[in-house]
Amino acid sequence: MLDFLQSASDGILFGATYALIGIGFTLVFGVMHKLNLAYAAASVGGAYCGLLIVKVAAGAPAFAVFFGAFLAGGVLGYLVYLTCFHFIPVSNPLAALMATVGMLLLIDEIIVHETDGVPLNYPAMFDDVMLRVGEFTLRGDLLMVFVVSMVCMAGLLALLYKTRLGLATRAVSQQAVAAQLCGIRVGRVNAMTFVVTGLLGGIAGAMIGASVGTLSPLLTTPLTIKGLIVTVIGGLGSIPGAIIAGLLVGGFESVLQQFRGVTERDLYVMLLLFVFLVFRPGGLFAPKGGRD
Amino acid sequence: MTRKDHPLLEVSELVTAYGKIEALKGVNLSVEQGSITCLLGPNGAGKTTLMMTTAGILKPRGGSIRFAGTEIAGRAPHAIVAQGVALVPENRLVFPAMTVIDNLQAGAYQRRDRVETGADLERMFARFPRLKERSAQLAGTLSGGEQQMLAVARALMSRPKLLLMDEPSLGLAPLVVEEIFRIIADLHMDGATIFLVEQNAHMALKVAQHFYLMEQGKVTFSGTPGAMAEDEVIRRAYLGSAKA
Ligand SMILES: Nc1ncnc2c1ncn2[C@@H]1O[C@H](COP(=O)(O)OP(=O)(O)OP(=O)(O)O)[C@@H](O)[C@H]1O
Ligand SMILES: [Mg+2]
Repeated sequence: MLDFLQSASDGILFGATYALIGIGFTLVFGVMHKLNLAYAAASVGGAYCGLLIVKVAAGAPAFAVFFGAFLAGGVLGYLVYLTCFHFIPVSNPLAALMATVGMLLLIDEIIVHETDGVPLNYPAMFDDVMLRVGEFTLRGDLLMVFVVSMVCMAGLLALLYKTRLGLATRAVSQQAVAAQLCGIRVGRVNAMTFVVTGLLGGIAGAMIGASVGTLSPLLTTPLTIKGLIVTVIGGLGSIPGAIIAGLLVGGFESVLQQFRGVTERDLYVMLLLFVFLVFRPGGLFAPKGGRD
Repeated sequence: MTRKDHPLLEVSELVTAYGKIEALKGVNLSVEQGSITCLLGPNGAGKTTLMMTTAGILKPRGGSIRFAGTEIAGRAPHAIVAQGVALVPENRLVFPAMTVIDNLQAGAYQRRDRVETGADLERMFARFPRLKERSAQLAGTLSGGEQQMLAVARALMSRPKLLLMDEPSLGLAPLVVEEIFRIIADLHMDGATIFLVEQNAHMALKVAQHFYLMEQGKVTFSGTPGAMAEDEVIRRAYLGSAKA
């Protein structure tokens, strides 16, 4: 029982990073009704860019690396927007999707090339802290990952519900024609959505690096798949859904890893997805009015 | 700026096409400053296409749209809103998962004068008391009539010089239609210029000073309410059956 609780809580804390990735997929879909399959790869790319700071200034604090990843994620998000969406005709439903697949492969290749395929150490904060309640422990670095991710989500919600850009974003996602009639520039909102989700993705990548201790070039594909699973389970277009599904998948995979081993773990995650697709295909929260 | 002898909106030889099919085949019409001008026409005539082209959502293939002396044909929607044109679209198109207040704020998106925008919000609530009662409700849960009022109020929040309305009475109960037309008359009294698409010719006759009839992408009649009521063909098609 203790093992179960322990692995579930570790997994839920780590799952906050999946939640961020899920939000990125879901928000772009909500606004543009298109999938950005390069998102998780760009997020990992952002996390790698954060490491460049250590290269330039050895001994830079972990905080600086995280912040670098955050900014780089935003820049990469904008680049993905330009290359895969801005100049691609919207009338062809597959064009942008395939462009993002190409971008996924390109980013993946660049990472492997630049790191010689070897995992790099990633800094963390509070990794020497350990909270104990009897046998049960909470790792300081995982708590940090959880708190940082939650703060980012709170920031996103504040952006969406308290700012002019957020109002425009919600308007475009619900009724793009009416948004234009209100004088909102849809192209700008689209671009900003990529920047904002990119910022979140950079943080997510950095938090994954921080909690694992290393960043592996093999991360992009499994993270893409996890992100999509979280998005589907949460309900395509739903932010609360992505948050809950991220934590759920994180806890679920951690428990299964504890009891069935790391090789079998993802099998069960796929099974969870399958169960959802059969019994609740709209996900936890089918978004209300999200798609006109 | 607008000179007195120039209409506020002047559409000439406007052509808009969906692929190969021309929905507007050289439309000519104008809307005078301070008037209510009504566009009638059967289903599929191209009325919505004209409204969407004027608002910049659809790009014309040819012709011109002059608004207050400026060419706006083919410009982006946000630029046209900035010029002072607002469209209440067919089927209302409210933001369903946003509150009534947020819908109105979206209408004021381009405005930076927060205090004045807040005052306008209060004015909208005074004009549409039902929206005030439901200000925190999601727009998608409003009744059809309430959504129509919200769509009108949202368009007014940009303080337009010209209000375009595409079938505001569509699908509404007779009493609600009367209320909508009362609001249109009120807006006109307050000095608004309104270009209205309407199938309900009887209601339109009560408020409009000029009528156009559009058929198959062309304007086939232009005249005063009196001239329209005289016209045998129009009377039969638009006023005949409902007279009793
Ligand atoms: N998106 C579209 N793609 C192709 N053809 C279209 C499209 N929208 C409208 N049309 C065609 O253009 C013509 C004009 O349509 P429009 O919607 O402007 O008519 P309308 O006068 O507004 O009709 P209604 O009274 O039914 O609203 C019609 O023949 C219609 O079939
Ligand atoms: Mg129409």
